[in-house]
Amino acid sequence: MRPFALALKDKAVVAQHWPQLQGNLVVGLTLALVTLPQAVAFSVTLAGVPPHFGIYAAIWGVLFCTLLNPSRVFHGGPNTAMSATIGITLLPLAPPFGAEYMGYALTLGLMAGLIQLAFYLVRPLGRMLDLISEPVINGMICGIGLFLIFKSLTTFGGLPLNTEVEWPLWIAWQSLLAVLEIGNMHAIQVGMITLITCVIVQQFARLRNWAILFGIAAGTLYSEYLTATLGLDNTLIEQIGNLSSIGFVSPSLPLFSQEAMPDVIAIVPGAVTLALLGLFQTVAAMRRMNRKVGGYTDSRKAIFSDAVSNCLLPFLSSLPTCASFNRMWLVHRLGIHSRIAIASSALWLLLLVLFLAQLIAIIPMPTMAAIIMLLGANMINWEDIKPHFKDRRETVVFMASFLSVLLLDLFGAVIVGSVLAIAYSKWAQAHPNISLRGNVLKLRGNLYYGSLPVVESTFHSAVARTRDLTIDFSDCYYIDQEGVRWLAATRARHDVTFTDRRSGEDRRHGERRTEGDRKRMAGRRRERPDRRKRSEF
Amino acid sequence: MSTPTGKLTRVILLLLVMGGLYVLATHKHKQREELRQSTVALTPGCEAKLARYGLAAGEHYQSPYVLAKAGAPVKVRGYSEADVRAIQRGCNIIDDTQGHFARVAGAERWNSKRFIRGSHTSCDHCHQGIGDKQDASGNRLKGSLSLGASWVMADMYDRFTGLLLPYELRQMQCYINSSNGYKPNIADDLVRDVTAYSRFLSAALDLKIGNHYDEQGVDEIAASATIKQGDDYVRGEALYKEKCQVCHGRQAFGVVAEGRVVAPALAGPNAWNMQSRNYFYYVSTILPGFICRNMPLGQENTLDNQQCRDIAFYISNLPRPAGDRQGPLIALRNQLLMTVLPPLMQLTESAEKSPQPGQQAAGAQPGQQAAGAQPGQQAAGAR
Repeated sequence: MRPFALALKDKAVVAQHWPQLQGNLVVGLTLALVTLPQAVAFSVTLAGVPPHFGIYAAIWGVLFCTLLNPSRVFHGGPNTAMSATIGITLLPLAPPFGAEYMGYALTLGLMAGLIQLAFYLVRPLGRMLDLISEPVINGMICGIGLFLIFKSLTTFGGLPLNTEVEWPLWIAWQSLLAVLEIGNMHAIQVGMITLITCVIVQQFARLRNWAILFGIAAGTLYSEYLTATLGLDNTLIEQIGNLSSIGFVSPSLPLFSQEAMPDVIAIVPGAVTLALLGLFQTVAAMRRMNRKVGGYTDSRKAIFSDAVSNCLLPFLSSLPTCASFNRMWLVHRLGIHSRIAIASSALWLLLLVLFLAQLIAIIPMPTMAAIIMLLGANMINWEDIKPHFKDRRETVVFMASFLSVLLLDLFGAVIVGSVLAIAYSKWAQAHPNISLRGNVLKLRGNLYYGSLPVVESTFHSAVARTRDLTIDFSDCYYIDQEGVRWLAATRARHDVTFTDRRSGEDRRHGERRTEGDRKRMAGRRRERPDRRKRSEF
Repeated sequence: MSTPTGKLTRVILLLLVMGGLYVLATHKHKQREELRQSTVALTPGCEAKLARYGLAAGEHYQSPYVLAKAGAPVKVRGYSEADVRAIQRGCNIIDDTQGHFARVAGAERWNSKRFIRGSHTSCDHCHQGIGDKQDASGNRLKGSLSLGASWVMADMYDRFTGLLLPYELRQMQCYINSSNGYKPNIADDLVRDVTAYSRFLSAALDLKIGNHYDEQGVDEIAASATIKQGDDYVRGEALYKEKCQVCHGRQAFGVVAEGRVVAPALAGPNAWNMQSRNYFYYVSTILPGFICRNMPLGQENTLDNQQCRDIAFYISNLPRPAGDRQGPLIALRNQLLMTVLPPLMQLTESAEKSPQPGQQAAGAQPGQQAAGAQPGQQAAGAR
């Protein structure tokens, strides 16, 4: 009787939850369909590795991240900026798609994963990521978006890639001229049709998430038409190629041989960039999604899931992963907040690849380039940027990190971004409000190594002007060791008195006293100045 | 902007821009096709060279040079009309990269100037004799960087990275390192035409694929090949003044007369750049080798190894531009320095040469007097 009752109960449970599960599975399928073209495009056109790298990242990367991260909307998977970093780092070292290149790509991913793990294990390091401000991240994302558009131009025009990497702005200009002058017109047509279809479909709110699929379908159909009428020898349009050999898993080993060591050392800056870019994006995406969903998931958990999955993925022939804000936003908008939806997207993808490999093989490369250009354009979102132009300081930080992507390489941009972020967070504290009224120098703000130069310069000019200077610390909240040393040195002077007008009552009620009260209190303090001073230190 | 009208406007604008670019591309493609079909106006040098090698379209090609040298005729597969035009354009690019002889700018050499910085560089400056230097009796000269001999060693393994470097990629390196410029796309006509010309040269000279020929590279001069060990900047400067200054100019900025380059720049914004990967190797061994074999023009092989090394050491220490790989900021700094330094150097040199008349001349221009009269600079100039 018991098992039967249990089964009955289970059935009821299943019946109760079935609609929800069904919803989750549908969302998973949508996600898989959106991720597939991105995964292929990122690996082939950006990272310079075969398409299965991106697909495995979208299957295994997504599964690992989902299992390790408690957030319900967290969607990992291949990422534009990270894939581009792989290409930029490795193209000068080895010809793309070669065995050596793939080995280096896996090594790069593993190193990035280990660096990310360090960020998880060393708490202050992870905490540093929280200091990176929104304008910095937005500036970098916009810069990378523009960079992606430039970078896909040659593939869009059916031209071979120049392997050595130069300054991105020159690549852009020269590529545009080359596409106009010697581009393969058939490839350009295919790319244009993809782009136009995507842009038009995107305008309809309901079809927005399917725009990429429509674009790919249109581009592929047109290229098939061209091939049928003119022959592949005349059109010369490159295609993705056969994926049917992809199984459930493809074990691999990163390249760490002795001959490869000089190159492995050479890619360390690239690995740092890769790790930081991934973490920046993950933390920023978590922060924004927390705000949008209304819940809270610690970004430390996201760092952990990223780090662990990136340490494992190189052994599964996969690109490194990080959070994808676009896809997370999609999950949120589709209205299902369950990890089942995201996990099922990985399984759907696996099924798609296993059974539709023949269809994926004929997708032309110019179509993929057009998709990358569109994604790059979508990364530049005016609604996100607009608030930064309301404050001058934010504008400067945003523009600096935006331009640094275009003027320097990505590594340089990451360094500039981090330095700017920290400078930005410290700048306000480093400029305490100091006013001199009569012989009272009032300090509002923090007294620490960063603000001391400002404080000292005002102090010395005040000392030169007035006798018996009093320094008022009523609004000084934090003093670091260097501040204490300065205070000790200053206290040795005979012409300076220290005062702190806060009373216990003041602090409790947080209200200001009237001028009369203050005078009375100052009079009371004058009666026993020695005790006050002693109590301060 | 998110209103339907705003959205529609944006989409229409985007489509218009894309359509415009497509029309532009069609136009450019057509223009290029016409260009490739039209006859090529050869430079005087190329006209003589190609006539000597009997370049003409036909089913078979027989080189008069080989016939004269070996006595036995060697027939190879001939060239089509399009091939001949490509070879002619390739020759023009080597001889006249800046297009001084072009009737219409950009018409005969196809857009090669776009990839080069400065107004001096021509492929011919290194690849002597339009890529095929010979003495009076028609013998190919050693160390002249012959393009024909380069072609038969077409796909070389890079000695530093061990990667296979196709002929086209080696041309790319020329654009970045030697002509201080930008890379054309590897599918560019420019690269194809130069390849066609190099290939023709190898057929005209009957060079065999895979063989090593002396005129392909320069024989490098290592420190062990000199009697005096070490290089001396002072010695190099004195030698430069004695042997090279006549053509390359006092400050090695090259000499341009009537818009044509008489002698290329070795320093300043128009010189080759300093970003070459094998920079030190180049300066210490390859450049001396090149100087010994090819300089001074008309008196080749008159300098000894040590002299070549000294001169190479001196000229490679002159200010030269940074390349793209060193980043735009360093490039900008170098560009600024090279704009500011030459006039200053000119002033110090003139002040050092004749203080009395120099001051008189400077008296007319007070700004120059101030710059020329600084004792520190004079001392630096005197060294």
